[in-house]
Amino acid sequence: MTNRINTPLDRRTLFKIGGAGLAAAGLTSLTGCSTFAAGSGSTGTIKMLYFGQQSAATALQNALQPQIAKLDKTAKLEVTGINGTDWNDFLAKVLTQVASGSAPDIVSVATEGLQLMASKELLTPLDSYVTKDMSSLQSYFDDTHPALIESMMYQGHLYELPDSFNAGSMFYSTSLLQKAGLAEPSANWTMDEFHTNATKIARSGGDTNAFDWVVRLWGSWTSFLYANGGNLLEEGKYSGGDWLWNKAYANNGTATAGRQGGWKWGTPTANSAEAIEALEYVIDLQRSGLSPSPDVGGGSTLQGLFASDRIGMTIGGGFWAGGLHNAGMKDGSFNVQKFPTWKTNKSLFGAGGYGIFDSSKKKDLAWEVVKMMVQPSSFDLIFPGNVTTSGRKSLNTAERYKTTGPANWSVFYDQLDGSVPISAPPYYNALATSLNQRTTQAISSGNAKAALDGMQADLEKAAAAS
Amino acid sequence: MSSSTDTLESPSAIPRPHPERRVAPRPGARRTARREGIFGFLMISPAVLFVTVFTLVPILASLVLSLFSWDVITAPKFVGLNNYQRLAADGTVLHSFGVTLILALGIVILQLVCGLGLAVLVNQRRKPWSKAFFRTTFYLPLLASTAAVSIFMGYMFDAKFGVINYYLTSLGLPAIPWLTSTWGSMLTIVLITVWQQVGFTFVMFVAALTSMPSDVLEAAAIDGAGPLRTLVRVKIPLISPTILFATVVAMINAMQLFDQPFIMTKGGPGTATTTATIVMYQAGFQNLQFGYGSAIAMVLLLIILAITGLIFIASRKLVFYQ
Repeated sequence: MTNRINTPLDRRTLFKIGGAGLAAAGLTSLTGCSTFAAGSGSTGTIKMLYFGQQSAATALQNALQPQIAKLDKTAKLEVTGINGTDWNDFLAKVLTQVASGSAPDIVSVATEGLQLMASKELLTPLDSYVTKDMSSLQSYFDDTHPALIESMMYQGHLYELPDSFNAGSMFYSTSLLQKAGLAEPSANWTMDEFHTNATKIARSGGDTNAFDWVVRLWGSWTSFLYANGGNLLEEGKYSGGDWLWNKAYANNGTATAGRQGGWKWGTPTANSAEAIEALEYVIDLQRSGLSPSPDVGGGSTLQGLFASDRIGMTIGGGFWAGGLHNAGMKDGSFNVQKFPTWKTNKSLFGAGGYGIFDSSKKKDLAWEVVKMMVQPSSFDLIFPGNVTTSGRKSLNTAERYKTTGPANWSVFYDQLDGSVPISAPPYYNALATSLNQRTTQAISSGNAKAALDGMQADLEKAAAAS
Repeated sequence: MSSSTDTLESPSAIPRPHPERRVAPRPGARRTARREGIFGFLMISPAVLFVTVFTLVPILASLVLSLFSWDVITAPKFVGLNNYQRLAADGTVLHSFGVTLILALGIVILQLVCGLGLAVLVNQRRKPWSKAFFRTTFYLPLLASTAAVSIFMGYMFDAKFGVINYYLTSLGLPAIPWLTSTWGSMLTIVLITVWQQVGFTFVMFVAALTSMPSDVLEAAAIDGAGPLRTLVRVKIPLISPTILFATVVAMINAMQLFDQPFIMTKGGPGTATTTATIVMYQAGFQNLQFGYGSAIAMVLLLIILAITGLIFIASRKLVFYQ
């Protein structure tokens, strides 16, 4: 047998060739991965990544195409839907796609991923474009809360034009409140009233939970942490941003007081007294039977349970209006109020918008598309059915919420005053992983301090590595 | 057999060609041999190409990548063995290897015991349709998507509205925190993985039991061995090569456990079900540390190779080859 392969193609030669080939292939694949293709493949095609299913992405693409054609007859929009349970999942998939060599021109990015993508120079600053087109954008800035704009800034530069947001408000089932003999909460309700309501709903019986929540950065026990005056990271602001505030909001100086060049997330404060107290509070809710053990990420299960009237109160944003309506909940069967005041009335929000990839070869056209997408007429094409809150105040109207509810829809936008974006630093993914793990550890063990000490160590490590 | 006793079967009895009698190769024999060699290479080349492209190159690329610091976006930077040094001191990663080993041990043991038990029971059935029915039934879960099974089972085992807890509480028993307590989540992951994977082990054991020589079983019956003694003393030794194979395959699969804990518990509560592959995913795809993720992958590969080697060493004393 050995003799038979002792030919010009003998085993040793084959191994040598194979070994050299493997080494070359390995190194080639590694170095090949380090560069990614710049923007669109074909001329005139603007590629966009969209958080959602491909069917919705295709519908969006078809809806926007006629408007794109008005900008440039040869331009074609190609929207790719990326599924994910949350923004963390979406972001991981976007980065994988970038690594595979197909970076888009435009990407929809929420607060969760803004600083990560900006710090890696994946997104291009929009400062020069905004300055150039300030007059045509004035109506946009006049209609958009400065808190949303500031949440899309990083180190003094604007990286996205936000078109949507969700503030962490408190949704409640009107029927379960009535059953417990409770009146609907007022705008200035407190944590004590929240606790009383939860206790009474629990006592009213039935297969229900007084309160439920989901483990994630947005609208989790973090809402309690914010209301308690704390945060996971030290709050600060980058200097700069005057180039924007002095022009775009020149007529509304009071709204921009204290606005600077974006949120600067500093030293981790995950095991602060406020954080421990907030996490202990939600653990106590569970231990006392006022809430079940929470799920991790997503929120579809929570929405399903709420829609079937099995949850008295939960944290939700404007996206719940359409979500609950689509789940079969009738207007009037649920309502919303601002998050209750604890030591402070600070609440949280997350915003969404569109950024342009730094590698795009069609930045000018992409900018025109981004401007078009933040027009009022585009909002319902992009988000049909009240599945998020519009960043434009003029679109938050009674007419908009007439079909879906809730009756108290105005709290969505009103809550932005005094609100702080979710703390999503450049190492957001590591923060989200730690938050999920340490929160479930605390819920399981009942020891909030030990879990948050662990989280503090995780965040310090991640911050040092970023 | 003593080496001093030459018999027809002994090596010394095999006639060897005398050096002087070696026949000179026929003219053209070398050409024929070469042609056959090339033909042989051509025949196996698709398989070699497949394994090279989809197994060897990724492993090699992973090995090379583990020596770099790479965040996908900027160019990779050579860091030598830094990733491995960091790994050795990373409590989260070391803990995940421990979790993986515990889960793998539970899965392999339960899978072998259940697979063998079911195979023995099904093999005792006399009617062919009955055997075919059970074979199909137990194999079916293996054909289902692991992701779909994990999502479905996640709902079933949900502490709030899961059907399992619904029936438990209906019977007056307390609801169990299947996915929200340390022991509950580990147990649930093991049970679901075994439920889905046991079909593979089961089918292998059924085949081994079916092909067992009937004369040996008849001899055992004549000697008065009962069903249990026949199983322990005759059947299990006879199918021990199959048990070895099933153990190795189950262990390799279990050490790469990802879908079930990732979907059902996200590795929680805390890090109770955070396996090595989940940490690898988090390092690479969430924290953008692909070099570090590759280092974890390489260490996991070495651990799997070491465990497989240990199983084979142990098999020298435990496995009976006819």
